[in-house]
Amino acid sequence: MNKNLVSPSLRRGLTFGIVMIIFVLIDLDVMVATMLSKLFGANVIRGGLPDVRFMVLFLTLFGMFVGWSASSNDVKPTTKLFQALIAGLTLGVVIGLFDLILNQLIVTGTDVRTYLAALAPGSIRLFLFDKGAISPLLHLGLFTVASLLGSLMKILLKSEIASRLFTSVISGYRGLQTKVQANTPDWIKKYGKFLLFLIFGLMAFFLPRVWGSYNNYVVGLVGLYVILGIGLNIIVGLSGQLMLGFAAFFAMGAYSVALLNAPLPHGIMLGFWPSLLIGILMAVVAAVLLGLPVMGMRGDYLAIVTLGFGEIIRILLKSDLLTSFTGGPRGIQDIKGPTLFGQSFSSDIDYTYIILVVMVLAIFIYKRLERSRTGRAWLAIKEDTKVAQATGVNIMTNKLLALCLGAAFAGLAGGIFAARNQFTGPNDHQLMVSMNILSILIVGGVNSIPGIILGAFTLKGLPEILREIENYRLLVFGGLLVFMMLSRPEGLWPATRPNIEKDEGSKQKGDAAPGEGGPNG
Amino acid sequence: MADPIIQVKNVSKIFGGLTAVNQVDLEVPEKYIYSIIGPNGAGKTTLFNCISGFYIPEQGEILFYGDPIQGLSTNLVAWLGISRTYQNIRLFSNLTAVENILIGLHPNLKTNWLDAIIHTKRFQKEEGGSIKEALRLLDYVGLKGYGDFLAKNLPYGLQRRLEIGRALANQPKLLLLDEPTAGMNMNETAEATHFIKRLRDELGITIILIEHDMKVVMGISDRISVLDYGTKIAEGNAAEIQANPRVIEAYLGPGGAALSEKYKKQRLNYAQSQ
Repeated sequence: MNKNLVSPSLRRGLTFGIVMIIFVLIDLDVMVATMLSKLFGANVIRGGLPDVRFMVLFLTLFGMFVGWSASSNDVKPTTKLFQALIAGLTLGVVIGLFDLILNQLIVTGTDVRTYLAALAPGSIRLFLFDKGAISPLLHLGLFTVASLLGSLMKILLKSEIASRLFTSVISGYRGLQTKVQANTPDWIKKYGKFLLFLIFGLMAFFLPRVWGSYNNYVVGLVGLYVILGIGLNIIVGLSGQLMLGFAAFFAMGAYSVALLNAPLPHGIMLGFWPSLLIGILMAVVAAVLLGLPVMGMRGDYLAIVTLGFGEIIRILLKSDLLTSFTGGPRGIQDIKGPTLFGQSFSSDIDYTYIILVVMVLAIFIYKRLERSRTGRAWLAIKEDTKVAQATGVNIMTNKLLALCLGAAFAGLAGGIFAARNQFTGPNDHQLMVSMNILSILIVGGVNSIPGIILGAFTLKGLPEILREIENYRLLVFGGLLVFMMLSRPEGLWPATRPNIEKDEGSKQKGDAAPGEGGPNG
Repeated sequence: MADPIIQVKNVSKIFGGLTAVNQVDLEVPEKYIYSIIGPNGAGKTTLFNCISGFYIPEQGEILFYGDPIQGLSTNLVAWLGISRTYQNIRLFSNLTAVENILIGLHPNLKTNWLDAIIHTKRFQKEEGGSIKEALRLLDYVGLKGYGDFLAKNLPYGLQRRLEIGRALANQPKLLLLDEPTAGMNMNETAEATHFIKRLRDELGITIILIEHDMKVVMGISDRISVLDYGTKIAEGNAAEIQANPRVIEAYLGPGGAALSEKYKKQRLNYAQSQ
């Protein structure tokens, strides 16, 4: 066979072999096997190892993926199988050689945990299926067969029959959709949106009471990050200023509420709502102070300055010098929660309500700003600052306004955050927080509200739910970002521009025919 | 001659050791189509950048209706009623065509962000009006039906038109067009030329034009200035410029005038022999 066919497959097998070796070295294989076993309902005690079957399953899936990706798109099925065979064999040989080393470790009883903390003898045994010297052969066979299986799957799924099946299903769905649309009564068309809002509202009201405090905690966290995401989106997504110290504004809000509404260190006890307002104000003041000198900067320079700003604020909060004022590294405890009409309003359910209401408010404000003269000016600045200015947009005031509004959202979120945790300290406002919020925008989709919600859920909600992968959070995070950048560079739910001409056209048609389904017709 | 809308007096712009614009004087009467021509690197675009506020000239004065505007920031210049287009199209490429024009309307609108959040009466009225105006302008520059296209997805000729549409949104009194027919074929160029004339005739806008296509320049200009190495070497109407030996020299090099005469004669002989 032709060399052009063999060498890419060889390379693929080699690459994935190395990936697998890295997986083993950081014990990721055992974690995935554990998750798989949980998926099938097996009960694994914390720190225990899963059944060997699930390791086989994981390796098979891995091998199938290699086979799938090794078979090129536009070649004959036999060629695909051949490619998969080469890739599978290569993978098997690489892993087999690695197995020999691992087996040697087991035989001689060497403990490598001093150097590779994750590589416990138990994990190695599990990876080797506890078969000792013949495990290389087992792996070779397994990967070859799995790779061929993966290739076969690709051949079947991408075949004529499969695509025809797929299109027929799609067209059937489309037909159903139009049918449903045609048969929808008028009152649903007219009030459907309100009905939907009503259902969501009722859900938002009753669900927090039912589903327990842990879910409330997760939803609250996601909600806070949505608010933060919207705030940062005004700065980065709309006005195009790359801001890496967003956590500083968050800290302003949090510390304002903490200092004004906790017994120590000052004991002012101003009450939650006034201190929240002051927190927002403080964030805005910080934004102005930061914004004025850096307005002329762009891109990398602005990123570095804002990054520095974020760190300065955090280090100030932490410093010994200010301990008497800010509580220093230990932070501020016992922050009082909000009251409403004289009643305490600070159970986990109440916080969920507050966060959801603020979130909806933030979305509402964002939407209105985006579709206005100001929002368009921001977008123009982001697209081409110089031309925007020459078109008559005042760069300075508009950029500063974006910074202030974004900071206000951050201050708001920070205040609620501090009160909800009844604690805030310098560690709540690390650089990682700023990075997380930026990642939400990138993963979800800049300038897209559904994208931001999706991103906040993916990056803050999922890790809370999948506690197992805690150790691999950053790995998954990085992998996800790389994958996103390659496959969906505009985010999970990319933004679209409004169709102003079309909308206006249909509106005018409506004007031309009065009494034809108008609200008073 | 009608009142000058803009006067450029003794303006120089120096980059390091290079004098890009050297003591140039211009006076453009109202409702003129005024062309600036010259070889590449003559300082035409630099002069535009001085007028529209991108550059601050080192020397001289630029008067708009008698008031000095040099050194004003570009948004103020735009607000006063001077719009421009760019040699290499600079649209807001990820926004739709309508949005581009809406941004052009920016200096004429007054509502602020609070109006936008509360949706005050003022905001609704202004927003509705500006959308109508943007669609009207879209139609005027011949982009009806393309309004919801992203600017970057429009064909080249339409991008040029959209840029003019954005410039017109500002209701300018003076429009600076930097090579509006660059990269167009003959039909498109003819259309664009006609369109520029319409702008002046229908809207009464004064137009300063940088152009390399001599057919366009000679066809529509009321007056022409020629720049070479930053200095103005000639000014006059089309016939005067065509006959000016310094201009021919600037384009064809030293001895160009003689060369041009020779070729003219040759062509004449050829035509006679036919």
